Amino acid sequence: MRQITYHIHRYQQGRAFVQTFKFDYEADRTILWGLQKIKDTQDPTLTFLAACRSAVCGACSVRVNGEAMLGCEAKIDELTERYGTDELTIAPIGNFRVIRDLVVDWEAKVDRLKLVAPWIFLKAEFNEGDKIVRQTPADFKKFVAGTECILCGCCASECNKLTARQDDFLEPYVFTKANRFVLDSRDDAPMAHIQPAFDNGLWKCVHCMNCISRCPKHLKPAVDISNLRKEATKAGLTNSKGVRHAVAFKDDLYKTGRLKEVSMSLKSDGVVDSAKQAFYALRLWKHSKINPFELVVPQKPVNGIDGVRRLMKAAEEVSK
Amino acid sequence: MKYAFFPGCVLESAAKEDYLATVAVAKKLGIELEELDGWTCCGASHVQDIAPEITLATNARNIALAEEKGLNLLTVCNTCTLMLREAKNELDKNEKEKNEVNKKLAQIGKQYRGTTDITHFLWVLIRDYGLDKLKAKVVKPLTGLRVAEYYGCHILRPQTELGFEDYQMPTSLAELISAIGATPIDFSRKLDCCGFHAVYPAHDSVMQMTGSINKDAATEGADCVVTPCPLCQMQLDMFQKEAKEVVGGGKDMPILHMSQLVGLALGISPDEMGMPKRHLTDTAAVTKFVG
Repeated sequence: MRQITYHIHRYQQGRAFVQTFKFDYEADRTILWGLQKIKDTQDPTLTFLAACRSAVCGACSVRVNGEAMLGCEAKIDELTERYGTDELTIAPIGNFRVIRDLVVDWEAKVDRLKLVAPWIFLKAEFNEGDKIVRQTPADFKKFVAGTECILCGCCASECNKLTARQDDFLEPYVFTKANRFVLDSRDDAPMAHIQPAFDNGLWKCVHCMNCISRCPKHLKPAVDISNLRKEATKAGLTNSKGVRHAVAFKDDLYKTGRLKEVSMSLKSDGVVDSAKQAFYALRLWKHSKINPFELVVPQKPVNGIDGVRRLMKAAEEVSK
Repeated sequence: MKYAFFPGCVLESAAKEDYLATVAVAKKLGIELEELDGWTCCGASHVQDIAPEITLATNARNIALAEEKGLNLLTVCNTCTLMLREAKNELDKNEKEKNEVNKKLAQIGKQYRGTTDITHFLWVLIRDYGLDKLKAKVVKPLTGLRVAEYYGCHILRPQTELGFEDYQMPTSLAELISAIGATPIDFSRKLDCCGFHAVYPAHDSVMQMTGSINKDAATEGADCVVTPCPLCQMQLDMFQKEAKEVVGGGKDMPILHMSQLVGLALGISPDEMGMPKRHLTDTAAVTKFVG
């Protein structure tokens, strides 16, 4: 009889350990079914969360072989075929405090979510007076995808920025929630979402794209972050190395078509922080990675730069 | 076998050694690279944060340049690959967007058609050239060299934009390393992010990320780290010393461009590919394998 093996990362009473369970294979079963089977037949102390079993409540997210997914949606058949083995490692989702076995602490995370005011500040015309305005289908379409977020935490699990440091950044789903209200034409206070996002690491995303890869609802938190950055910049929130970095790229694109790398530190870090890197810059120069003389020598524009500039202006005009 | 070559900005500056190695490897293998005249920065995953319309339009122009030549576009930078593919995917699936962009392109005598594929040098070596053919060209097999294969995010994720292989368990780089006689170590951090794109705004975190990759490569017995992305190479090499202090030690870890490693096996001299001159971390631990 074919057996499926789960190596489960457990945590109970301050002790972390990995425990191996085997159970008989059944076709068309999910990871969650396997966990329940173990709990019912082998170890009633195994602790995990699950509710809807239909991929809408977000409770049963776990890490299978290092990848966050919904236990109720992930098929044992597909995973064993993909990994070429009947042994799977199941762990709690990453970047969360573990309470017990596969159950993680959402309380602190909800407090972080509240920072961006993930609720609507409704414009008066949508709920007052005799003539209540209805949102157009086109405006509805702009934000509706963001409402699909089920707060499962999968996007945060392998977020490389959060793994490195959590106190200066927010979980990707927080940015998705913020952007959902920023895009909603009924919302009267976009800055109530944008400002706290900006203040809590909006420009610190490292672009690892794990959030997009992991989302079981096919949302794109990194794209939400990008849109929030655009809106924050438009609103004048520009005092950030990240903004200066992006503007430097755009300016170089306009001037010559290509990046002028030697001036990037100066433009992004600013004079003071850049000066602190003087010895580092000397090392780079020694290895021909930069040439400081290029700071004063104009870079030759690419062939067709006039067209590039016209194209950029035309594109920018449309966005206005 | 001919491609429209899109080197990307860093190959003209801090990662010039990748340009040298890529061109030399292509020549050895008989792969013709015709550099696009007038290519521009892909936006580097930054411009779209303040002006997504500009990124889309300028990358449509970049792709149109390749279409005019009737060639598929080859990049060597993961982020260029992602930016260009994102633009292509958006334009190909959204007729209205494509028409809007083409109206702007028409003003400068260009048109985006959607006839060119965007590919990466790693994918070309595997899918178009073939590892068996590559193996036959090896004159200095890198036998005994233990290589930490490090993919870099933007050649794998988001999988909907890239899709060359399973983003969670890629094998392409390990297969390439094996084909030239070296040994991939099945690096535990092969999927990690080096942090390059946030090195200014999130410096502390990024040094932690960079340092962890280099340190664990050493702990897992690698002689070097190899990556198909010049941005990752720059990050892991140029910031290695500072990152090492953040994570607490670890031995010096040579960081090679994929093109350089292949070049060594093909008998191209290290000097011709900027080694060791253009590396901050000494590459002697690698070049000793080719004598």
